[in-house]
Amino acid sequence: MGTDAVVLGAGTAGMVAALRLAAAGASVLVLAEGEGGLPLAPAQMDVLGYRPQLVLDPLAELGGFLESRPDHPYRLVEADEVAASLEWFLELSAPLGYVGSPHINRLQPTALGALRPTCLVPQTMAAGDLSGGGSVLVVGLRGFRDFHAPLLAENLALANPPSGAEIRARSVEVSLLGDPRDLRPQLLARRLEERPVLAELGREIRSRLEQEELVGVPAVLGLERSHEVWQRLQDLVGRPVFEIPTPPPSQPGQRLQQHLFRALRRLGGEVRLGARASGYRASGDRLEAVRVVTAAREVEIPADSFVLATGGIGTGGITAGSDGELREEVFGARVSRGGAPDEPLVEYLATQPLDRLGVEVDDQQRPLGAGGEPLFENLWAAGATLAGAEPWREKSGEGISLATGFRAARLAGGVRA
Amino acid sequence: MNTLDTDVLVIGGGSTGAGVAWDSALRGLHVTLVDRQDFATGTSGRFHGLLHSGGRYAVKDPGSARECAAENRILRQVAADCLEDTGGLFVSTPEDDLEYADRFLAAAGAAGMEIEEIPVGVALRDEPRLNPKIRRAFRVQDGSIDSWKMISALLRGAQAHGATVLPYHKVVRVIRQGDRVEGAVMEDQRTGEEVQVNAGCVVNAAGAWSGQVAQLAGCEVGVRPGKGVMVAINHRLARAVLNRCHMPSDGDIIVPVRTVSVIGTTDHPVADPDDTECSPEEVHQMIEAGELLVPGFKESRALRVWSGSRPLLPKTEGSAGAGDREVSRSHTVLDHGARDGLEGLVTIAGGKFTTLRLMAEDTVDVVVGKLGRGAECRTRTEVLPGSESHRFYWIGNRQQEAETDPPDDPLICECELVSQHDLDTVVARRPSWRLDDIRRALRVGMGPCQGGFCAFRVAGMLHQEGRYGRAEANSALREFVQERWKGVKVISWGAQARQTRLDRWIFEGVYDLEHLPE
Repeated sequence: MGTDAVVLGAGTAGMVAALRLAAAGASVLVLAEGEGGLPLAPAQMDVLGYRPQLVLDPLAELGGFLESRPDHPYRLVEADEVAASLEWFLELSAPLGYVGSPHINRLQPTALGALRPTCLVPQTMAAGDLSGGGSVLVVGLRGFRDFHAPLLAENLALANPPSGAEIRARSVEVSLLGDPRDLRPQLLARRLEERPVLAELGREIRSRLEQEELVGVPAVLGLERSHEVWQRLQDLVGRPVFEIPTPPPSQPGQRLQQHLFRALRRLGGEVRLGARASGYRASGDRLEAVRVVTAAREVEIPADSFVLATGGIGTGGITAGSDGELREEVFGARVSRGGAPDEPLVEYLATQPLDRLGVEVDDQQRPLGAGGEPLFENLWAAGATLAGAEPWREKSGEGISLATGFRAARLAGGVRA
Repeated sequence: MNTLDTDVLVIGGGSTGAGVAWDSALRGLHVTLVDRQDFATGTSGRFHGLLHSGGRYAVKDPGSARECAAENRILRQVAADCLEDTGGLFVSTPEDDLEYADRFLAAAGAAGMEIEEIPVGVALRDEPRLNPKIRRAFRVQDGSIDSWKMISALLRGAQAHGATVLPYHKVVRVIRQGDRVEGAVMEDQRTGEEVQVNAGCVVNAAGAWSGQVAQLAGCEVGVRPGKGVMVAINHRLARAVLNRCHMPSDGDIIVPVRTVSVIGTTDHPVADPDDTECSPEEVHQMIEAGELLVPGFKESRALRVWSGSRPLLPKTEGSAGAGDREVSRSHTVLDHGARDGLEGLVTIAGGKFTTLRLMAEDTVDVVVGKLGRGAECRTRTEVLPGSESHRFYWIGNRQQEAETDPPDDPLICECELVSQHDLDTVVARRPSWRLDDIRRALRVGMGPCQGGFCAFRVAGMLHQEGRYGRAEANSALREFVQERWKGVKVISWGAQARQTRLDRWIFEGVYDLEHLPE
């Protein structure tokens, strides 16, 4: 049986495109060299956080933002399609209880205690929107290296939400049973799925709680049964509990990934990890097949349409040589710096040469070749593959991936029909 | 103002100053050592880590070669823990003159080096990544030095003999009474407080900065800073130090040290020794040069780039034996009493890390003559703290320790196997540490992730232990990230470019570091 659509890359953009195509009835195969980018991600769906000033209503401010950044990938999608992709995601991820709106930036604390703008968060983080202020008890877990509650709380207490509301924060530290040599997020998440361990954590927190406090904990509240773990902890504590994302590996990212993989399988699609796309076969301007290295042999996978969502330099979709040459690895699509500076700047926390780097596309999201013409009529690019964004500075990565992945599927489906 | 009285005030906490402090302390003198920054932050912490056999200087600078060969033997006896016994090879690549190899062999023997010509096949068997087109190979006693460990051991040894060491104390005034230097006033760079040190003798051991220090005393020292660029490559590409057998030039040494291989170096005169900017051109020059010794070198993962300023000494200042060169790599003790009529000040100028012990001995001999007291030099035989077992460091040490005596605390740096216990031990040694100081002491942040994961952990832990206030922790983290960026921004290619993206994702995407309160 043939494959209708092949998606390269298992991050947010690739999974969105695959799910949309599968939902429309296509047989879909997702290929990823590694395990996809989602296990690294905090699993909060940003749309636009800074331009560079804080954005309050991302959807309303997209137009103004694009005036200053005409090369930005948001130029490729109408605001309606951004909204539609987020609505669709909310529905799709209902089992994880995502909440929020593309019209409102929530302000959620980071592991360092900054207030970070984002639009959609899973239910386990929903109570952490501090745009209206609040009193927070930050709970640290003794021996966990990637979460430092006292510093988080002290920084958070100084954060100034635009509402002018006050944020109060303090921290406590709780000991969990377990080998202190190995308190990694995965292990903590597994431990907290054990009822007695969770009950002890709940009792500890409750005994140290003051009235009206929200409870912020590192995002390790279980993996498979996170909703249940979060719900039970909240019941035990008797106050709203929310997770704060920690550095990779991210438990919320893994939960989201598993959810999306399962959703695709239910629609008859397939995800093949550890499969590196090594080349392609084309006939004229039509892409016929991609070649894939898997289990040490190369196989050819023919399909009608193809989505390139391998990401940029950070995920290996694009490589940089020591001679400065930039290469999109599968198709040799044209790579652009998207208006970023050529030379590295002195200040680290400034726009750097590699920040906006990505594949150039036409207005139909088709990657361009060296001559500036679309490489193939049936290849579309989406997500971090696209040039022109600074996803981490702007807090825009997931929104770009959702919207352009959503649109890539629509364009690819249209061609197939 | 706090006032201290001391026999010897040493200005400069690099290898030379630390060596002078150790030597003076062993001779029964009270010594106070100051540095404007942390120790080993100048040239000593910014070199390739080569323990010279003398081979590099054998033909060009025989005096330096002799000194290196002799000092190499002594350091192996007294500082084994700070050294790795990698051995070294000098090889004639296709671009090198074979006639030079004959001159090299003769000169190495004359300099007292242990040297052996080995068949090319043996060299290639020992070093599989070496250029198979080499035509001759010589085995020598090169090694690698962990400069931070060495300087730390020298200072701990000196302190055990009563020395006072003051990091972050910048000399702002030299105290003069007529034609006599009687001490100096230092400003604590962290608090702004001043400290006066009255000294029987002041030693200017500021290396490439010694001209600046001499000026404060009102005299001139013609040290010329010579900038050298180095690139660290992830992994050890060779077991031994690899040298091209030719007249010393740029990018012709690869030194395996700790978890990396370092290629060096260049030599550009600079006006300001603090000019440590590395241009992309200089980096590419190093990467290309590496290809000649190790084909495929430029495909390796470059981790970091840095530069340091040698304290080069023009011939007019130098001693005899500098050969036909404009500047010497030997050292000279400048007695400003005899030279400028200014008593109480001695400058140790020129030299190199490998000969630090001899430089210190020669300097303190002059100091003892001036003070009229102090015992014989003991540094030839006195073993440094940590080296009592005479076992050389080797790359598997940390892993071996972790396996034989499993720690019951978490690793905070997976790249360099640093545990929380290691961190606690180091920070207990002195009251205030910057993250960058901890990096030098523990190598935290020096591995492939360049601080992406560990910097946040260290800042958070030190804040939790009360060593950092909130604002201090934030600025320490920002400063560390900024400092690491300096060394990776010009090598944004291959796997390291990918790593810088991941680090950026963490710092900006996960933490929103740029929007933290001050």
